[in-house]
Amino acid sequence: MSDEEHHFEPAADAGASKTYPQQAGTIRKNGYIVIKSRPCKVVEVSTSKTGKHGHAKCHFVAIDIFNGKKLEDIVPSSHNCDVPHVNRTDYQLIDISEDGFVSLLTDNGSTKDDLKLPTDDSLLTQIKDGFADGKDLVVSVMSAMGEEQICALKDIGPK
Amino acid sequence: MQGFTPNTDFSELHSTMRAIELASNSIQMQISPAASEAIILSLGQSSQPYKTCQFILENSLVATARFQAAAAIREAAIREWGFLNADDKRSLISFCLCYAMQHASSPDSYVQAKVSSVAAQLMKRGWLEVVAAEKETLFYQVNQAILGIHGVDVQFAGIKFLESLVSEFSPSTSSAMGLPREFHEQCRRSLERDYMKTFYQWTQEAASSVTNRIIESDSVVPEVKVCTAALDLMLQILNWDFRSNTSDTKINVFSAGVGQDGDSFRRPECHLVQPGSDWRDVLILSGHVGWLLSLYAALRPKFTYEGYWLDCPIAVSARKLIVQFCSLTGTVFLSDDGKMHERHLLQLLSGILEWVDPPDAVSKAIENGKSDSEMIDGCRAILAIANVTTPCVFDNLLKSMRAIGTLTFLSMWMSEVIKVLITRNTEDGTWSWEARDILLDTWTALLMPINTITVNDLLPSEGIKAAANLFGFIVECELRMASASAFNDEGDSDYLRASISAMDERLSSYALIARASIDVTIPLLTHVFSERVTRLNQGRGIIDLTETMEELYSLMLIIGHVIADEGEGEMPLVPNAIQTQFVVNSVEADKHPVILLSSTIIKFAEQCLNPEMRDSVFSPRLMESIIWFLARWSSTYLMSSDGIGEKILDSGHHYEHSSKKVLLSFFGEHNQGRVILDIIVRISLITLTSYPGEKDLQGLTCYMLLHSLVQQRHICVQLVALNSWHELANAFSTEKTLFLLDISHQRSLAQTLVRSASGVRNSEESSQYVRNLMGHIATYIVEMSSKSNLKNVAQQPDILLSVSCMLERLRGAASASEPRTQKAIYELGFSVMNPILVLLEVYKHESAVVYLLLKFVVDWVDGQITYLEAQETAAVVNFCMRLLQLYSSHNIGKISLSLSSSLLSEAQTDKYKDLRALLQLLSSLCSKDMIDFSSDSIEAQGTNISQVVYFGLHIVTPLISMDLLKYPKLCHDYFSLLSHLLEVYPETFAQLNSEAFNHILGTLDFGLHHQDVDVVSKCLRALQALASYHYKETGNGNIGLGAHAMGLKDSSGEVQEGLLSRFLRSLLQLLFFEDYSSDLISVAADALLPLILCEKGLYQVNDSS
Repeated sequence: MSDEEHHFEPAADAGASKTYPQQAGTIRKNGYIVIKSRPCKVVEVSTSKTGKHGHAKCHFVAIDIFNGKKLEDIVPSSHNCDVPHVNRTDYQLIDISEDGFVSLLTDNGSTKDDLKLPTDDSLLTQIKDGFADGKDLVVSVMSAMGEEQICALKDIGPK
Repeated sequence: MQGFTPNTDFSELHSTMRAIELASNSIQMQISPAASEAIILSLGQSSQPYKTCQFILENSLVATARFQAAAAIREAAIREWGFLNADDKRSLISFCLCYAMQHASSPDSYVQAKVSSVAAQLMKRGWLEVVAAEKETLFYQVNQAILGIHGVDVQFAGIKFLESLVSEFSPSTSSAMGLPREFHEQCRRSLERDYMKTFYQWTQEAASSVTNRIIESDSVVPEVKVCTAALDLMLQILNWDFRSNTSDTKINVFSAGVGQDGDSFRRPECHLVQPGSDWRDVLILSGHVGWLLSLYAALRPKFTYEGYWLDCPIAVSARKLIVQFCSLTGTVFLSDDGKMHERHLLQLLSGILEWVDPPDAVSKAIENGKSDSEMIDGCRAILAIANVTTPCVFDNLLKSMRAIGTLTFLSMWMSEVIKVLITRNTEDGTWSWEARDILLDTWTALLMPINTITVNDLLPSEGIKAAANLFGFIVECELRMASASAFNDEGDSDYLRASISAMDERLSSYALIARASIDVTIPLLTHVFSERVTRLNQGRGIIDLTETMEELYSLMLIIGHVIADEGEGEMPLVPNAIQTQFVVNSVEADKHPVILLSSTIIKFAEQCLNPEMRDSVFSPRLMESIIWFLARWSSTYLMSSDGIGEKILDSGHHYEHSSKKVLLSFFGEHNQGRVILDIIVRISLITLTSYPGEKDLQGLTCYMLLHSLVQQRHICVQLVALNSWHELANAFSTEKTLFLLDISHQRSLAQTLVRSASGVRNSEESSQYVRNLMGHIATYIVEMSSKSNLKNVAQQPDILLSVSCMLERLRGAASASEPRTQKAIYELGFSVMNPILVLLEVYKHESAVVYLLLKFVVDWVDGQITYLEAQETAAVVNFCMRLLQLYSSHNIGKISLSLSSSLLSEAQTDKYKDLRALLQLLSSLCSKDMIDFSSDSIEAQGTNISQVVYFGLHIVTPLISMDLLKYPKLCHDYFSLLSHLLEVYPETFAQLNSEAFNHILGTLDFGLHHQDVDVVSKCLRALQALASYHYKETGNGNIGLGAHAMGLKDSSGEVQEGLLSRFLRSLLQLLFFEDYSSDLISVAADALLPLILCEKGLYQVNDSS
């Protein structure tokens, strides 16, 4: 049952592409953008012109949402950029296994066991500590362009 | 600490000296500086160290040790002044004074300077208690020194002593003595009244006495040092802020002499020297200025000699003093119609001309390596003269010497400077930049009063010609600079607004010059502009037009400044010169030069509607200048109702304003106004739809042009009647391209369009107009929220973008709420209330959307709340509470994980912005209790605003962490709300549960120790409210804050102090032991009293302990 469900989910947005084209001028700070085939969050946009009487171009400074690396790009404002489809799903955390995987409970009662814990120590500690305290934790999993990562956790246990 | 006790024992003095010498040396060599510093400090802190210090000064061979000894005398004497007897005081001062004089020729002059300044400080300290005779004795010695009886070195030392004395008595440069401000003020007044002039005379005599030696000798003589010091001291005295003359009620300092209309303060940065009539003999009648000028004239040939050069100290000081004399004004001159003042200025001008005349030769010499100081000082001098004269007097000055007036000369001079500026095309900071700016300031100083005050002293006709010539040259040069820079790409970031604000001052000065000769300059501008337009039309498709485009860009900015002023939020009037300088027959309105110019530009702008022209000529940058111009122009001229301005100006000269009437009626509603408005709307539509991605251009269109058009109702009436406006509205609702605008531009556009509803005939129709405009947006939101697969599609980028656009548009509409459209906007918001909650749930991880949702609700509630009826209020309040709860449930206890610290800090910033929005929401709700336009009381529906807001605060406060309070704006908002709530509804506060209560107390405690005075005073007011509420209530036999005020046992069983006693303690702690601003004293006292009354017992216990 769990396997079935697991395969069904991606099938639901099988038709959806991983990225969408969007005019560079409409991408704002805090929006998403693909730079060098990486999904990023824009932290700074500035505009300038190509020559005094030329057209506007946008200068993006963005951060890879998964690995935190900084990337930059310059695109004419009226051209299209790729914007990643960034999805976030909440799961209840059931277990942390020894081999570095987490076990998550989906909305419809099945489990999701294919997500690795982050490798970064501080993130790992935050998750593990929370879990070890016996709190009820909900984790948000961010997925984009075929990658997944835990991006937030929230204690929903009784106070 | 043992310190250094007074001791006559020689060996002990000696050992102390050794210790200080060692410490001084080791400080310089950076060896254990802390310990050495402690030794030196202890000398000044010990009691009566004078003997020791004097011993060190007289015997030590280490200069720094002597310096430290002098510092110690100062410190100890200022501290112990009250205990010293008169003899001690006198002997200390005279010791220092004599020391400085006797050692005048010794090396290490900084020690002498220090001792001399100590003498000055001690003298000031005792100034008010010492009798005049005693001062006379001391000053007699100083005078003897200054007269040169004891030689040049002592003379120099004497002047330097007076310099430190004057600087000590001037409030801005005085040293702190731990005495009230009043003391310093009395000293200042006394010195100004009794001694200042005498000092000046002494200095004057000293300087004159050495002049001959200097002039006669071909090399540098020791007297030069004396003379330089004297010049510096005279400059310092003339820089004194003279006040005694302003108390003179009989003679108004501004009315005498030239510069009569009291506008001498028109430029706040300009410094005027007004010593008053007492100084006339010294400064004017004594031939002092003549001496100064001839001294400098005698120095000039020497600049080639060894030891002299153009920027040698004596030359610099002399020039500074000469410039200072140009600023001399007021009653020091006889009130003989300014004759005496004019003679004075003339004398100065003739000296200064030597430095700058002829301008071309001088500038060439500078380009060949001569120092630019004389040129720059010359500019400063002419600026100073312009500041104290009227244009006519200014112009006449030169006429007595030359065939031309000063204005003509100024115009030539400035042309020369500009010529150098553009041929060099150098970076900012060269002499020609500085000279240009100072000379532009000179023009501004001369022309500003003509521009603002109704003209009663016009420029002399020659001056008008000079201004016209200069302006023509300026335009020529600006155009040349523009075309030269057309291909410069380095100015990447200087888009229109930035470049305008940087150039604004310069352009405003240009505009003043242009307006001085408006009947010449307007046709000139029309000609130059048309010529460039023709060039564009002819060259289109054949040659590269970038240079011409850049020239037009720059012309557009200049013309905009010349013919219209910036409104700065008010309605700008037609500039005075344009109102008065044209006498035009109203039948031939279309011949009015300003109408001609405006029409030429508008016709040119209109060509951008043609797609072919647009592609080849109207670059985004050129369009930016067009939009900027249209915005500036239309707020002055387009359908200007101007009823108010009419009344003010029509008081007298009726015929003079025919020019303005012609202008305004030509561009009025019944004439060309409608046509032009239509053109403007069409152009706007083009910039929004045909310039994809040009954010700056579209921003200007939305924020400057369209936004300002809908500010006036009579223009809205015309707008909504225009087809083009409906096209714009249609495009807004239906066209895809407008969804590609920056979302904040879309918000502004929505606001503008909704606001134009005020021009619709009646309120029913205007509601319909709003519904037509916004209805489909609400429908989109409603439909979106009810989609069954919302969760799956919501995060798709295209959906995300369109939801954001719709929310921003809704927010724009909500913020345009006016009584007329209020109902429609309420319904609009009401229809999306549930969808908003759905979206908040779906987008809880998408902070950008969450913020838009919250901001929409904030703006909507803010615009609506005062109008809502009881039932509506209940619905809105209920909705807001659900929103708060939902937001809180998503965010409380949430931890963001990211590898990127900048993403984490962004997340923190997002949180801050959200919370700030929520606090604003609560404040808006709060205001319902203060201002309410509804027909029935909201209590009818059982809504209690105070309960609501407290409930809200209950939800919000746990989210506000101490970290977030470090954002100043959030902190400010939070404490404003808190202090307001506590002052108005203290009783509800008592009902909070203990967790929320303690959280709020925690933040109050945090706020009390905040560094922002405003925050602290808000917390104090909150405390005062709490304590007085409790005191009053308990006095009436009620429980007041009840359990909260008592000590409580917390969960671990420990007794916690009650809140009032806790704050009594921490407030007293703050007041007694910590640094706080004196602005807080009164609020702190207000808070302290009720706290003491509540906790008398605790206070008395503390008091006695």
